[in-house]
Amino acid sequence: MSQLVIRYLLLFLFAFILQMTLVNFIEILQWRPDLLLIVLVAFALRKGPDWGMTAGFLIGLLQDMVGTELIGLAALSKTVAGFLAGVLSGKFAERAQFLLTLLISGLAHDFIYFFIYTLGEHFSLQSLIIFYTIPNLMYTIIIGGLLYYFMEPLMAE
Amino acid sequence: MKKVFGIFSQRRTVFLLGFYVVFSLFLMTLNDPYQLRGIRIAVLQTMSWMHQIRDHVNLVKNLKEENQQLRKKLLEKSLENQQMQESMLENIRLHRMLKFKEESNYSLIAAKVIGYGQEPTIRSLILDVGSADSVEKNQPVITDLGLVGKSLVVEKNQSIVQILMDRNSLVSARLQKSREVGVVGWSGNLWLDLNYISREVVVEPGEVVLTSGLSRIYPAGIKIGIVAEVRENEYELFKQIKIKPAVDFDRLEEVFVIKTPDSLKSREGID
Repeated sequence: MSQLVIRYLLLFLFAFILQMTLVNFIEILQWRPDLLLIVLVAFALRKGPDWGMTAGFLIGLLQDMVGTELIGLAALSKTVAGFLAGVLSGKFAERAQFLLTLLISGLAHDFIYFFIYTLGEHFSLQSLIIFYTIPNLMYTIIIGGLLYYFMEPLMAE
Repeated sequence: MKKVFGIFSQRRTVFLLGFYVVFSLFLMTLNDPYQLRGIRIAVLQTMSWMHQIRDHVNLVKNLKEENQQLRKKLLEKSLENQQMQESMLENIRLHRMLKFKEESNYSLIAAKVIGYGQEPTIRSLILDVGSADSVEKNQPVITDLGLVGKSLVVEKNQSIVQILMDRNSLVSARLQKSREVGVVGWSGNLWLDLNYISREVVVEPGEVVLTSGLSRIYPAGIKIGIVAEVRENEYELFKQIKIKPAVDFDRLEEVFVIKTPDSLKSREGID
Protein backbone atom coordinates (compact mmCIF):
# COMPACT_ATOMS: atom_id res chain seq x y z
CA MET A 1 0.00 0.00 0.00
CA SER A 2 1.53 3.29 -1.00
CA GLN A 3 2.40 5.95 1.47
CA LEU A 4 -0.17 8.21 -0.07
CA VAL A 5 -2.95 5.74 0.61
CA ILE A 6 -1.81 5.31 4.20
CA ARG A 7 -1.68 9.05 4.66
CA TYR A 8 -5.16 9.38 3.27
CA LEU A 9 -6.37 6.53 5.43
CA LEU A 10 -5.17 8.42 8.46
CA LEU A 11 -6.77 11.57 7.11
CA PHE A 12 -10.07 9.75 6.66
CA LEU A 13 -9.93 8.54 10.25
CA PHE A 14 -9.12 12.02 11.47
CA ALA A 15 -11.93 13.52 9.39
CA PHE A 16 -14.29 10.85 10.64
CA ILE A 17 -13.53 11.64 14.27
CA LEU A 18 -13.89 15.37 13.62
CA GLN A 19 -17.16 14.76 11.79
CA MET A 20 -18.51 12.90 14.78
CA THR A 21 -17.35 15.45 17.32
CA LEU A 22 -16.16 18.90 16.31
CA VAL A 23 -18.50 19.49 13.38
CA ASN A 24 -21.47 19.65 15.73
CA PHE A 25 -19.96 22.84 17.19
CA ILE A 26 -19.64 24.62 13.87
CA GLU A 27 -23.19 23.84 12.83
CA ILE A 28 -25.03 26.91 11.46
CA LEU A 29 -28.78 26.48 11.65
CA GLN A 30 -28.92 22.87 10.48
CA TRP A 31 -26.07 23.16 8.04
CA ARG A 32 -22.82 21.39 8.67
CA PRO A 33 -19.88 20.59 6.38
CA ASP A 34 -19.21 16.99 5.29
CA LEU A 35 -15.53 16.58 6.08
CA LEU A 36 -15.46 13.00 4.85
CA LEU A 37 -16.74 14.11 1.46
CA ILE A 38 -14.00 16.72 1.27
CA VAL A 39 -11.28 14.13 1.94
CA LEU A 40 -12.95 11.62 -0.38
CA VAL A 41 -13.00 14.07 -3.31
CA ALA A 42 -9.37 15.01 -2.70
CA PHE A 43 -8.43 11.32 -2.58
CA ALA A 44 -10.40 10.36 -5.70
CA LEU A 45 -8.89 13.24 -7.64
CA ARG A 46 -5.51 11.82 -6.86
CA LYS A 47 -6.19 8.11 -7.27
CA GLY A 48 -8.98 7.91 -9.88
CA PRO A 49 -12.48 6.41 -9.94
CA ASP A 50 -11.65 2.86 -8.77
CA TRP A 51 -9.94 3.99 -5.62
CA GLY A 52 -12.42 6.81 -5.22
CA MET A 53 -15.50 4.63 -5.25
CA THR A 54 -13.89 1.98 -3.07
CA ALA A 55 -12.97 4.58 -0.49
CA GLY A 56 -16.43 6.12 -0.81
CA PHE A 57 -18.11 2.77 -0.25
CA LEU A 58 -16.00 1.96 2.85
CA ILE A 59 -16.35 5.41 4.40
CA GLY A 60 -20.05 5.45 3.68
CA LEU A 61 -20.42 2.04 5.22
CA LEU A 62 -18.56 3.26 8.30
CA GLN A 63 -20.94 6.21 8.51
CA ASP A 64 -23.90 3.88 8.15
CA MET A 65 -22.63 1.73 10.97
CA VAL A 66 -22.49 4.56 13.46
CA GLY A 67 -25.61 6.29 12.23
CA THR A 68 -29.24 5.46 12.76
CA GLU A 69 -30.35 5.84 9.16
CA LEU A 70 -30.74 3.22 6.49
CA ILE A 71 -27.63 1.01 6.35
CA GLY A 72 -26.16 1.18 2.86
CA LEU A 73 -27.52 4.63 2.05
CA ALA A 74 -24.34 6.59 2.84
CA ALA A 75 -22.30 3.77 1.25
CA LEU A 76 -24.21 4.15 -1.99
CA SER A 77 -24.10 7.96 -2.13
CA LYS A 78 -20.43 8.12 -1.18
CA THR A 79 -19.59 5.40 -3.73
CA VAL A 80 -21.13 7.49 -6.49
CA ALA A 81 -19.47 10.68 -5.19
CA GLY A 82 -16.06 8.97 -5.11
CA PHE A 83 -16.57 7.53 -8.58
CA LEU A 84 -17.61 10.90 -10.02
CA ALA A 85 -14.69 12.71 -8.39
CA GLY A 86 -12.32 10.13 -9.89
CA VAL A 87 -13.85 10.44 -13.33
CA LEU A 88 -13.71 14.26 -13.19
CA SER A 89 -10.02 14.19 -12.33
CA GLY A 90 -8.16 16.41 -14.78
CA LYS A 91 -11.34 17.63 -16.44
CA PHE A 92 -11.13 21.19 -15.06
CA ALA A 93 -8.48 23.82 -14.75
CA GLU A 94 -6.10 23.01 -11.89
CA ARG A 95 -7.14 25.93 -9.68
CA ALA A 96 -10.85 25.20 -9.91
CA GLN A 97 -10.47 21.42 -10.13
CA PHE A 98 -11.05 20.61 -6.49
CA LEU A 99 -13.92 23.00 -5.81
CA LEU A 100 -15.83 22.19 -9.01
CA THR A 101 -15.39 18.46 -8.49
CA LEU A 102 -16.52 18.85 -4.89
CA LEU A 103 -19.58 20.76 -6.09
CA ILE A 104 -20.60 18.16 -8.69
CA SER A 105 -19.83 15.13 -6.54
CA GLY A 106 -21.51 16.78 -3.56
CA LEU A 107 -24.65 17.46 -5.57
CA ALA A 108 -24.78 13.86 -6.78
CA HIS A 109 -24.08 12.59 -3.26
CA ASP A 110 -26.80 14.68 -1.65
CA PHE A 111 -29.32 14.02 -4.39
CA ILE A 112 -28.95 10.24 -4.09
CA TYR A 113 -28.91 10.38 -0.32
CA PHE A 114 -31.98 12.54 0.07
CA PHE A 115 -33.88 11.03 -2.81
CA ILE A 116 -33.76 7.60 -1.18
CA TYR A 117 -34.10 9.08 2.28
CA THR A 118 -37.33 10.89 1.39
CA LEU A 119 -38.89 8.09 -0.65
CA GLY A 120 -42.39 7.44 0.60
CA GLU A 121 -42.16 10.22 3.14
CA HIS A 122 -44.10 13.43 3.15
CA PHE A 123 -40.98 15.60 2.71
CA SER A 124 -40.63 17.67 -0.38
CA LEU A 125 -37.39 16.75 -2.11
CA GLN A 126 -37.32 20.13 -3.82
CA SER A 127 -37.48 22.15 -0.60
CA LEU A 128 -35.00 19.78 1.02
CA ILE A 129 -32.51 20.46 -1.80
CA ILE A 130 -33.12 24.21 -1.79
CA PHE A 131 -33.16 24.80 1.97
CA TYR A 132 -30.84 22.10 3.15
CA THR A 133 -28.68 20.48 0.47
CA ILE A 134 -27.48 23.57 -1.37
CA PRO A 135 -26.59 25.66 1.72
CA ASN A 136 -25.02 22.58 3.27
CA LEU A 137 -23.00 21.98 0.11
CA MET A 138 -21.92 25.61 0.00
CA TYR A 139 -20.74 25.32 3.57
CA THR A 140 -18.88 22.11 2.69
CA ILE A 141 -17.27 23.82 -0.32
CA ILE A 142 -16.11 26.78 1.79
CA ILE A 143 -14.64 24.54 4.48
CA GLY A 144 -13.30 22.21 1.77
CA GLY A 145 -11.56 25.09 0.02
CA LEU A 146 -9.84 26.13 3.25
CA LEU A 147 -8.89 22.58 4.24
CA TYR A 148 -7.62 21.72 0.77
CA TYR A 149 -5.33 24.70 0.94
CA PHE A 150 -3.65 23.15 4.00
CA MET A 151 -4.19 19.52 3.07
CA GLU A 152 -2.67 19.57 -0.39
CA PRO A 153 0.98 20.29 0.64
CA LEU A 154 0.73 17.56 3.27
CA MET A 155 -0.50 15.05 0.76
CA ALA A 156 2.05 15.91 -1.91
CA GLU A 157 3.86 12.76 -3.03
CA MET B 1 -12.00 -18.17 -17.29
CA LYS B 2 -9.20 -16.06 -18.71
CA LYS B 3 -11.70 -14.47 -21.00
CA VAL B 4 -13.93 -13.56 -18.03
CA PHE B 5 -11.00 -12.03 -16.19
CA GLY B 6 -10.05 -10.23 -19.39
CA ILE B 7 -13.48 -8.65 -19.66
CA PHE B 8 -13.44 -7.82 -15.97
CA SER B 9 -10.05 -6.12 -16.18
CA GLN B 10 -11.14 -4.17 -19.25
CA ARG B 11 -14.30 -2.94 -17.60
CA ARG B 12 -13.11 -3.04 -14.02
CA THR B 13 -14.45 0.39 -13.14
CA VAL B 14 -17.93 -0.41 -14.38
CA PHE B 15 -18.02 -3.78 -12.63
CA LEU B 16 -16.68 -2.26 -9.44
CA LEU B 17 -19.25 0.53 -9.49
CA GLY B 18 -22.00 -1.98 -10.19
CA PHE B 19 -20.83 -4.18 -7.37
CA TYR B 20 -20.73 -1.35 -4.83
CA VAL B 21 -24.11 -0.01 -5.89
CA VAL B 22 -25.74 -3.44 -5.79
CA PHE B 23 -24.10 -4.26 -2.49
CA SER B 24 -25.23 -0.95 -1.01
CA LEU B 25 -28.78 -1.61 -2.17
CA PHE B 26 -28.57 -5.12 -0.79
CA LEU B 27 -27.47 -3.69 2.55
CA MET B 28 -30.44 -1.39 2.50
CA THR B 29 -32.75 -4.38 2.18
CA LEU B 30 -31.32 -5.78 5.41
CA ASN B 31 -32.67 -2.88 7.42
CA ASP B 32 -35.62 -3.35 9.70
CA PRO B 33 -39.09 -3.01 8.20
CA TYR B 34 -39.68 0.51 9.51
CA GLN B 35 -36.59 1.84 7.76
CA LEU B 36 -37.49 -0.01 4.60
CA ARG B 37 -40.99 1.41 4.61
CA GLY B 38 -40.09 4.33 2.37
CA ILE B 39 -38.39 2.19 -0.26
CA ARG B 40 -41.23 -0.29 -0.16
CA ILE B 41 -43.76 2.49 -0.62
CA ALA B 42 -41.69 3.90 -3.48
CA VAL B 43 -41.51 0.51 -5.17
CA LEU B 44 -45.24 0.05 -4.73
CA GLN B 45 -45.90 3.53 -6.07
CA THR B 46 -43.69 2.86 -9.07
CA MET B 47 -45.50 -0.42 -9.71
CA SER B 48 -48.81 1.37 -9.31
CA TRP B 49 -47.78 4.06 -11.83
CA MET B 50 -46.66 1.39 -14.28
CA HIS B 51 -50.00 -0.38 -13.88
CA GLN B 52 -51.78 2.92 -14.33
CA ILE B 53 -49.80 3.63 -17.52
CA ARG B 54 -50.54 0.12 -18.83
CA ASP B 55 -54.21 0.49 -17.89
CA HIS B 56 -54.29 3.90 -19.53
CA VAL B 57 -52.77 2.52 -22.75
CA ASN B 58 -55.27 -0.35 -22.71
CA LEU B 59 -58.06 2.08 -21.99
CA VAL B 60 -57.10 4.30 -24.92
CA LYS B 61 -56.87 1.24 -27.19
CA ASN B 62 -60.24 -0.08 -25.98
CA LEU B 63 -61.80 3.35 -26.29
CA LYS B 64 -60.61 3.63 -29.89
CA GLU B 65 -62.11 0.25 -30.77
CA GLU B 66 -65.29 1.04 -28.86
CA ASN B 67 -65.49 4.42 -30.57
CA GLN B 68 -65.20 2.82 -34.00
CA GLN B 69 -67.88 0.26 -33.16
CA LEU B 70 -70.15 2.95 -31.76
CA ARG B 71 -69.65 5.09 -34.85
CA LYS B 72 -70.58 2.12 -37.02
CA LYS B 73 -73.63 1.42 -34.88
CA LEU B 74 -74.58 5.07 -34.94
CA LEU B 75 -74.39 5.11 -38.71
CA GLU B 76 -76.49 1.94 -38.91
CA LYS B 77 -79.05 3.36 -36.49
CA SER B 78 -79.06 6.66 -38.32
CA LEU B 79 -79.82 4.89 -41.62
CA GLU B 80 -82.43 2.77 -39.86
CA ASN B 81 -83.95 5.89 -38.40
CA GLN B 82 -84.03 7.59 -41.79
CA GLN B 83 -85.71 4.54 -43.29
CA MET B 84 -88.22 4.47 -40.45
CA GLN B 85 -88.96 8.16 -40.87
CA GLU B 86 -89.33 7.64 -44.59
CA SER B 87 -91.67 4.71 -43.97
CA MET B 88 -93.65 6.73 -41.49
CA LEU B 89 -94.04 9.64 -43.92
CA GLU B 90 -94.96 7.23 -46.70
CA ASN B 91 -97.47 5.63 -44.39
CA ILE B 92 -99.04 9.02 -43.64
CA ARG B 93 -99.19 9.87 -47.34
CA LEU B 94 -100.63 6.53 -48.31
CA HIS B 95 -103.14 6.72 -45.50
CA ARG B 96 -104.23 10.14 -46.74
CA MET B 97 -104.43 8.86 -50.30
CA LEU B 98 -106.40 5.81 -49.24
CA LYS B 99 -108.84 7.99 -47.38
CA PHE B 100 -109.16 10.20 -50.42
CA LYS B 101 -109.76 7.19 -52.62
CA GLU B 102 -112.42 5.86 -50.29
CA GLU B 103 -114.18 9.20 -50.07
CA SER B 104 -113.86 9.97 -53.74
CA ASN B 105 -116.71 9.35 -56.16
CA TYR B 106 -114.29 8.66 -58.99
CA SER B 107 -112.93 5.35 -60.03
CA LEU B 108 -109.24 5.77 -59.26
CA ILE B 109 -106.04 3.97 -60.19
CA ALA B 110 -103.25 4.47 -57.65
CA ALA B 111 -99.84 5.17 -59.14
CA LYS B 112 -96.35 5.99 -58.06
CA VAL B 113 -94.28 8.71 -59.66
CA ILE B 114 -91.14 6.97 -60.85
CA GLY B 115 -89.56 9.79 -62.75
CA TYR B 116 -89.78 13.05 -64.59
CA GLY B 117 -90.13 13.18 -68.34
CA GLN B 118 -87.01 14.04 -70.28
CA GLU B 119 -88.78 15.46 -73.33
CA PRO B 120 -87.72 19.06 -73.88
CA THR B 121 -91.11 20.10 -75.19
CA ILE B 122 -93.35 18.58 -72.55
CA ARG B 123 -93.17 18.93 -68.80
CA SER B 124 -94.24 15.55 -67.59
CA LEU B 125 -94.12 12.81 -64.96
CA ILE B 126 -93.67 9.11 -65.43
CA LEU B 127 -96.04 6.80 -63.55
CA ASP B 128 -95.62 3.12 -62.79
CA VAL B 129 -99.02 2.23 -64.21
CA GLY B 130 -100.01 1.74 -67.82
CA SER B 131 -102.52 0.11 -70.07
CA ALA B 132 -102.16 -3.11 -68.09
CA ASP B 133 -103.68 -1.18 -65.17
CA SER B 134 -106.49 0.22 -67.30
CA VAL B 135 -104.83 3.56 -67.81
CA GLU B 136 -105.77 5.23 -71.07
CA LYS B 137 -104.65 8.34 -72.87
CA ASN B 138 -106.20 11.62 -71.68
CA GLN B 139 -107.21 10.52 -68.24
CA PRO B 140 -106.96 13.10 -65.44
CA VAL B 141 -104.24 12.64 -62.83
CA ILE B 142 -104.85 14.00 -59.36
CA THR B 143 -103.73 13.86 -55.75
CA ASP B 144 -105.80 14.50 -52.65
CA LEU B 145 -104.68 18.13 -52.93
CA GLY B 146 -105.76 18.77 -56.48
CA LEU B 147 -105.20 18.38 -60.19
CA VAL B 148 -101.84 17.25 -61.54
CA GLY B 149 -102.43 16.88 -65.26
CA LYS B 150 -103.49 14.21 -67.73
CA SER B 151 -102.06 11.01 -69.14
CA LEU B 152 -100.47 11.70 -72.49
CA VAL B 153 -98.58 8.58 -73.51
CA VAL B 154 -99.58 5.19 -72.19
CA GLU B 155 -97.38 2.12 -72.37
CA LYS B 156 -98.16 -1.28 -70.98
CA ASN B 157 -96.71 -0.67 -67.53
CA GLN B 158 -95.84 3.00 -67.61
CA SER B 159 -97.44 6.20 -68.61
CA ILE B 160 -96.36 9.78 -69.15
CA VAL B 161 -98.41 12.53 -67.59
CA GLN B 162 -98.49 16.05 -68.93
CA ILE B 163 -98.64 18.32 -65.90
CA LEU B 164 -100.39 21.66 -65.61
CA MET B 165 -97.03 23.43 -65.67
CA ASP B 166 -96.56 22.51 -69.31
CA ARG B 167 -97.00 25.25 -71.90
CA ASN B 168 -99.34 23.10 -73.99
CA SER B 169 -101.61 22.32 -71.05
CA LEU B 170 -104.97 24.03 -71.01
CA VAL B 171 -107.76 23.21 -68.55
CA SER B 172 -111.27 24.57 -68.42
CA ALA B 173 -111.64 26.09 -64.97
CA ARG B 174 -114.25 27.74 -62.80
CA LEU B 175 -113.95 30.28 -60.01
CA GLN B 176 -115.60 28.80 -56.96
CA LYS B 177 -117.47 31.91 -55.78
CA SER B 178 -118.43 33.72 -58.97
CA ARG B 179 -118.82 30.49 -60.94
CA GLU B 180 -117.18 32.24 -63.90
CA VAL B 181 -115.44 29.95 -66.34
CA GLY B 182 -111.99 30.51 -67.81
CA VAL B 183 -109.04 28.57 -69.08
CA VAL B 184 -106.02 27.73 -66.99
CA GLY B 185 -102.61 27.53 -68.62
CA TRP B 186 -99.00 27.74 -67.55
CA SER B 187 -97.66 31.23 -67.04
CA GLY B 188 -94.07 30.25 -67.69
CA ASN B 189 -92.97 30.46 -64.06
CA LEU B 190 -94.21 29.04 -60.77
CA TRP B 191 -97.80 30.19 -61.37
CA LEU B 192 -100.71 29.29 -63.56
CA ASP B 193 -102.76 31.87 -65.44
CA LEU B 194 -106.53 31.94 -65.41
CA ASN B 195 -107.52 33.51 -68.67
CA TYR B 196 -110.75 34.85 -70.13
CA ILE B 197 -112.28 36.12 -66.92
CA SER B 198 -114.09 39.35 -67.65
CA ARG B 199 -113.05 42.62 -65.98
CA GLU B 200 -116.58 42.89 -64.62
CA VAL B 201 -116.21 39.79 -62.47
CA VAL B 202 -115.19 40.31 -58.87
CA VAL B 203 -112.22 38.09 -58.09
CA GLU B 204 -110.21 38.23 -54.89
CA PRO B 205 -106.96 36.54 -53.97
CA GLY B 206 -107.55 33.33 -52.06
CA GLU B 207 -110.51 32.27 -54.18
CA VAL B 208 -110.44 28.61 -55.16
CA VAL B 209 -110.22 27.62 -58.81
CA LEU B 210 -111.71 24.27 -59.81
CA THR B 211 -112.11 22.28 -62.98
CA SER B 212 -115.27 23.40 -64.69
CA GLY B 213 -116.43 20.05 -65.99
CA LEU B 214 -116.81 21.55 -69.50
CA SER B 215 -114.25 19.11 -70.78
CA ARG B 216 -113.85 15.71 -72.34
CA ILE B 217 -111.12 14.87 -69.89
CA TYR B 218 -111.52 16.56 -66.54
CA PRO B 219 -114.61 16.05 -64.38
CA ALA B 220 -115.97 19.07 -62.53
CA GLY B 221 -114.86 20.12 -59.06
CA ILE B 222 -111.19 19.13 -58.94
CA LYS B 223 -109.14 21.81 -57.27
CA ILE B 224 -106.59 23.45 -59.53
CA GLY B 225 -105.31 26.12 -57.16
CA ILE B 226 -106.13 29.40 -55.47
CA VAL B 227 -106.06 32.90 -56.84
CA ALA B 228 -102.81 34.55 -55.85
CA GLU B 229 -102.89 37.83 -57.71
CA VAL B 230 -105.50 39.75 -59.74
CA ARG B 231 -104.63 42.57 -62.16
CA GLU B 232 -106.68 44.69 -64.47
CA ASN B 233 -105.83 46.81 -67.43
CA GLU B 234 -108.34 49.34 -68.68
CA TYR B 235 -107.43 48.57 -72.30
CA GLU B 236 -108.01 44.84 -71.92
CA LEU B 237 -111.24 42.95 -71.72
CA PHE B 238 -110.08 40.31 -69.28
CA LYS B 239 -108.46 40.22 -65.90
CA GLN B 240 -104.95 38.91 -65.47
CA ILE B 241 -105.28 36.28 -62.73
CA LYS B 242 -102.36 34.37 -61.31
CA ILE B 243 -103.09 31.05 -59.62
CA LYS B 244 -100.98 29.22 -57.12
CA PRO B 245 -101.27 25.50 -58.01
CA ALA B 246 -102.82 23.27 -55.38
CA VAL B 247 -100.18 20.63 -56.04
CA ASP B 248 -96.48 20.98 -55.47
CA PHE B 249 -95.21 19.40 -58.68
CA ASP B 250 -91.68 18.98 -57.35
CA ARG B 251 -92.78 16.78 -54.47
CA LEU B 252 -95.17 14.39 -56.08
CA GLU B 253 -94.73 10.76 -55.08
CA GLU B 254 -98.12 9.09 -55.24
CA VAL B 255 -100.99 10.11 -57.53
CA PHE B 256 -104.27 8.77 -58.83
CA VAL B 257 -105.42 8.36 -62.38
CA ILE B 258 -109.15 8.88 -62.77
CA LYS B 259 -110.83 6.40 -65.02
CA THR B 260 -112.82 8.45 -67.49
CA PRO B 261 -116.55 7.92 -67.14
CA ASP B 262 -118.28 6.98 -70.37
CA SER B 263 -120.43 10.08 -70.11
CA LEU B 264 -117.36 12.28 -70.50
CA LYS B 265 -115.87 10.40 -73.39
CA SER B 266 -118.58 11.49 -75.77
CA ARG B 267 -118.57 15.12 -74.64
CA GLU B 268 -117.21 17.92 -76.78
CA GLY B 269 -115.10 20.77 -75.48
CA ILE B 270 -111.61 21.82 -74.57
CA ASP B 271 -109.49 19.71 -72.27
